[in-house]
Amino acid sequence: MENEFIKQRFHVTRRHFLGKMSLGLGSVALGSLLIPDLFKSGADEGAMLAGLPHFAPKAKRIIYLFQNGAPSQLESFDYKPLLNKMAGQDLPASIRMGQRLTGMTSGQASFPLVGSHFSFKQYGQSGAWVSEIFPNMAKIVDDVCFIKTMHTEAINHDPALTFMQSGAQQGNRPSMGAWLSYGLGSENKNLPAFCVLLSRGRGNGQGVYSKLWTNGFLDSIHQGVQFSSSEERVLYLKDPQGRDRNGTRKMLDNLAELNAMNYQEFGDPETQTRIQQYEMAYRMQTAVPELSDLTQEPDHIIKMYGADCLVPGTYASNCLLARKLSESGVRFVQLYHQGWDQHGNMVGEMPLQAEDVDRSTAALVMDLKQRGLLDETLVIWGGEFGRTNYCQGKLSKENYGRDHHPRAYTIWMAGGGVKPGLVYGETDEFGYNIVRDPVHVNDFHATVLHLMGLNHEQLTYKHLGRRYRLTDVAGKVVSGILA
Amino acid sequence: MERLQRIILNIIFCIQVLLIFLLFFEDQIQLPAWLQVAGRMHPLVLHIPIGMMIFLVALLLMEKWLDQAVAPVIISFGLILTSLSASVTALFGFFLSLQGDYGADALTRHKVSGVLLSFLCYFVVLLYQQKKRQAIFFGAGLVCFVTLVVAGHTGAVLTHGENFVLAPMTRGEKPVLTVETASVYHFAVEPILEKKCFSCHNESKAKGGLIMTTVEKFKAGGKEGTAFTEGHPEASRMIKAFYLPLSDDKHMPPDGKPQLSSLEITTLKAWIKAGADFDKKLAEYKASDSLTFITTAFASSTTPDQENQVLYTFPGLSDDKVAKLNTPFRSVFPLYQNSPALQADFFVKKAFEVKAVEELKAAANQLVVVNLSRMPVTDKEIPLLATFKNLEQLNLNFTAITGSTLGELKALKNLKLLSLSGTAIKAKDLDPVLDAPALHTVYLWNTPVTDAEIEAFQKEHPKITFIKDSFHDNTILRLSKPSLENEGVVKRSDKVKLKHTMPGVTIRYTRDGTNPDSVNSTEFKEPFLATETFVIKARACKATWHCSDVYESTVFVEGIHPVKMKFFNEPDPQYPGEGVTSLMDHRKGVSDVLKEPSWVAYRDKPFAAGFWFDKEFPKSMVFSYARNLGAYSFPPTDVEVWAGKDEKDAKLIQRIKIEQPKGYDANKVAALTIPLSPHSYAFYKIVAHPVAKLPAWHDGKGDKGWVFFDEVFFY
Repeated sequence: MENEFIKQRFHVTRRHFLGKMSLGLGSVALGSLLIPDLFKSGADEGAMLAGLPHFAPKAKRIIYLFQNGAPSQLESFDYKPLLNKMAGQDLPASIRMGQRLTGMTSGQASFPLVGSHFSFKQYGQSGAWVSEIFPNMAKIVDDVCFIKTMHTEAINHDPALTFMQSGAQQGNRPSMGAWLSYGLGSENKNLPAFCVLLSRGRGNGQGVYSKLWTNGFLDSIHQGVQFSSSEERVLYLKDPQGRDRNGTRKMLDNLAELNAMNYQEFGDPETQTRIQQYEMAYRMQTAVPELSDLTQEPDHIIKMYGADCLVPGTYASNCLLARKLSESGVRFVQLYHQGWDQHGNMVGEMPLQAEDVDRSTAALVMDLKQRGLLDETLVIWGGEFGRTNYCQGKLSKENYGRDHHPRAYTIWMAGGGVKPGLVYGETDEFGYNIVRDPVHVNDFHATVLHLMGLNHEQLTYKHLGRRYRLTDVAGKVVSGILA
Repeated sequence: MERLQRIILNIIFCIQVLLIFLLFFEDQIQLPAWLQVAGRMHPLVLHIPIGMMIFLVALLLMEKWLDQAVAPVIISFGLILTSLSASVTALFGFFLSLQGDYGADALTRHKVSGVLLSFLCYFVVLLYQQKKRQAIFFGAGLVCFVTLVVAGHTGAVLTHGENFVLAPMTRGEKPVLTVETASVYHFAVEPILEKKCFSCHNESKAKGGLIMTTVEKFKAGGKEGTAFTEGHPEASRMIKAFYLPLSDDKHMPPDGKPQLSSLEITTLKAWIKAGADFDKKLAEYKASDSLTFITTAFASSTTPDQENQVLYTFPGLSDDKVAKLNTPFRSVFPLYQNSPALQADFFVKKAFEVKAVEELKAAANQLVVVNLSRMPVTDKEIPLLATFKNLEQLNLNFTAITGSTLGELKALKNLKLLSLSGTAIKAKDLDPVLDAPALHTVYLWNTPVTDAEIEAFQKEHPKITFIKDSFHDNTILRLSKPSLENEGVVKRSDKVKLKHTMPGVTIRYTRDGTNPDSVNSTEFKEPFLATETFVIKARACKATWHCSDVYESTVFVEGIHPVKMKFFNEPDPQYPGEGVTSLMDHRKGVSDVLKEPSWVAYRDKPFAAGFWFDKEFPKSMVFSYARNLGAYSFPPTDVEVWAGKDEKDAKLIQRIKIEQPKGYDANKVAALTIPLSPHSYAFYKIVAHPVAKLPAWHDGKGDKGWVFFDEVFFY
């Protein structure tokens, strides 16, 4: 097998080459250059990096509050009074500039502009504009850095979401959390480095799939661990009835021996991963109950996050759990909150969605702050793209909808080395195009990695003959938002 | 000897071939670890050819005075060894170059000169072997020596940087410029000129007579005139030169040199437009001036990665020792790659031991961050922590300390952040720590320290930020709804239980369909038995909270089991369920997911099934049906009840009209109660008709509707 492999790599030249050389040294050296595995034993050295940042990190952990379905920037943070003035008029072609449409509005005869149904006010010293449906987030604007000029390449949910999470629109690359786990390792060996929490709002929802927290081609130890929405947050963690912890220990030891034998024989690195994961699960048996017990939280914390934080599976309880996980050293806590896809009924659904996330999101930022954790924890809030400034479907006095808009949308970050109280970038008066400081998804990734102490160009993994990065071949650190 | 020489010559030839290969294909190569080691030997072996060559030059110069029989042999052998070492050095150099980041240009120069040297040496050896010892040999030898100097120099530039040797004589202190103190010219304009123009327009080169490195000469201009016209960028010679086509001789910087970016051109234009002043500072320009914008943007962008990096000068701990300090419950790791500074984190309260803190003594000088948050640390451990002299951040949130020994921490000269949230510390114990010279933030949220005490501290220590409570909100919030603990069908022996996730709430409920109020409705105290299906409505209340919204659910209670069941009409083939037993298997469906075996459905034919009883005879029945109007699943329009001794005897005893929805409503699994007969009949046949024509308000008006049943109950 190996001979065939070498032959195939060398073609005829190998014979020729060796024939010419009375000594084999050159060819051996060359051989090992072309086939790096020739003299290598054990796992690929590239599979795990030393768990070290490249330089001193500003943020040690991330909590990513993903608002799945794309919340409208025009009803939340990007205030565009012109749209109210011009309501009902058609979007000028000079602004649209040939932007493609989704299948949902491509048949629409006109694109009537529509302004926000909700009023805006400026808050804090930064004077950031916030819509009335986010009264609590309005209180934290001076801790937050708004990026109004995010833009993406995808126009539909799945590719956009996948792009935002993995740097590619096709779902075969490792997700952000997996890259960070690979680059930085786990801080707390009793918990996974990458945890995923799901919740569902009351608006029109879009699915989330496990490919969003996949390890891709990285070792599967870096895959996100999905927590359950039920009262038992990690399923199957309890010892089965009739077996105590010693029994489990014994079982695991014996199993590890069997697995080690299997590894000796086949050398599949996934076997090693499996052994490690069993060990992790064993340690999680002590660590998780301590964490997921939310009833021990004092009353004023419950009041901060709202009553829902005690109801498993809600966004509020996920925020509280995210704080606890992050406090316990989990590198990357990823939340997904569904229900932000307001193609119609913006007026009805948007306030419900906002109500579900507003209070607990603000509480999370404040809670981290009062514990002294906000400086080292990066909190990110945002969706996968923006929404159009024109109405989808019927525009009436009472209601309207908005389609997908990839050219400009707003997200915000707080803590972890980001300039607080900043509004970065600017969109035009129509809220359609970016006029200043665009931030591409790749730039966003580069910046997040930078904040975590990683150079996005150096965090690579060789797969299928080339080196991959989260930012692939693009991305620039957005230095304007760094504290 | 002859044979050995031939072998070595062969090796040298092989290496030359390999070098050529590497020169062209290095991109394709991934280096195995052992060759990386060889590569790192490059700085060692490179000294061999240098020494050998100097030795040979000396030998050749002295040849006249040496023994004529021995000298040629020594020289010949020396040449071969020089060539071999030069080739090996070049090869190792390649391996090294694949491992690190070196400046591309400098690296290329070194690589080419190194490979050239290797070839030249081999060439000289061949010349000497063929006894061509005249001018050509000495000429080649001389070239070889010059190449050695070049290769050596370019290599030194790579490792030590430009102008390493002479730097001590030429170094001038270059002050760090800030936008507040430096003039806009020096801060934002000069760096551009320095990067793109100075290399040709300086005192020693002065192309076109223009010298830009000093202000006076830059103002004076070159042979053709001034470089810029104050206030008029469009008339300025240098700006025009930027915009000429690249092919034009007068385009600046010339083709092939690094060009100005559009931002750089904009900056220069703005500076000229604003008067091309060399001394004015940013504050002296108008805020609306475009130069102000550009300079401000520039100022905020000049903070590269490494600049903010704190440098720690104390010696680090060996990797082994750091590894030893790591356990599943204690992580100790450097702050960043190769940093001597360490951070220690503790996890899992249950697994905490005091010993684990004591063991940190091994890293007493290296620990900069210690995080003991939530661990049962007591006052006894504080003095130990106070001996970690480089400690900058200490997190004691939610630990068991009371503060009696906290004063010891003031010995920590570098302590910047102290987190004490959630501890029992008191103001008087905190007071001494505040004298720690570097302290700038103290977290006191959720401690007995009062706002007044903090205010007093703040006056005394204006530099320290105290964080007490960051979330002020007195709005009264709504509780979440209570819920039922029972799932699916409640057995007759099971008790119905309401629950709430918040401790200390009062739950009040009704069973008659009315909305419960927070005063008079029955309080839920303990689980109760139920004999028939009912709708429960409940709400939770608690002091300092608004009562929750009303929770509503239908509690389906197990009833009398018929001895036999039979469909008279089979369900629609799309939704067959698991036959007639589906109706009594106690498996509840969900109103949004209809295509699954809990459900049986009818559309073209009415539901019709027979039920036989012998000991217990029912007086009423309940259909559990899916109310999902969007999916055409409606309640039946009428239900026929046939009763008798058996199937043949059965007569229609009543026909009941069912109230139909007036518009869309929320999807749910609902109960439909049908009264049977007060008499004890042994057989009932029930027929339920689906909607024949959907109403006008429905999207599918005029179409046939469906009925979906998952269970029936008899009481």
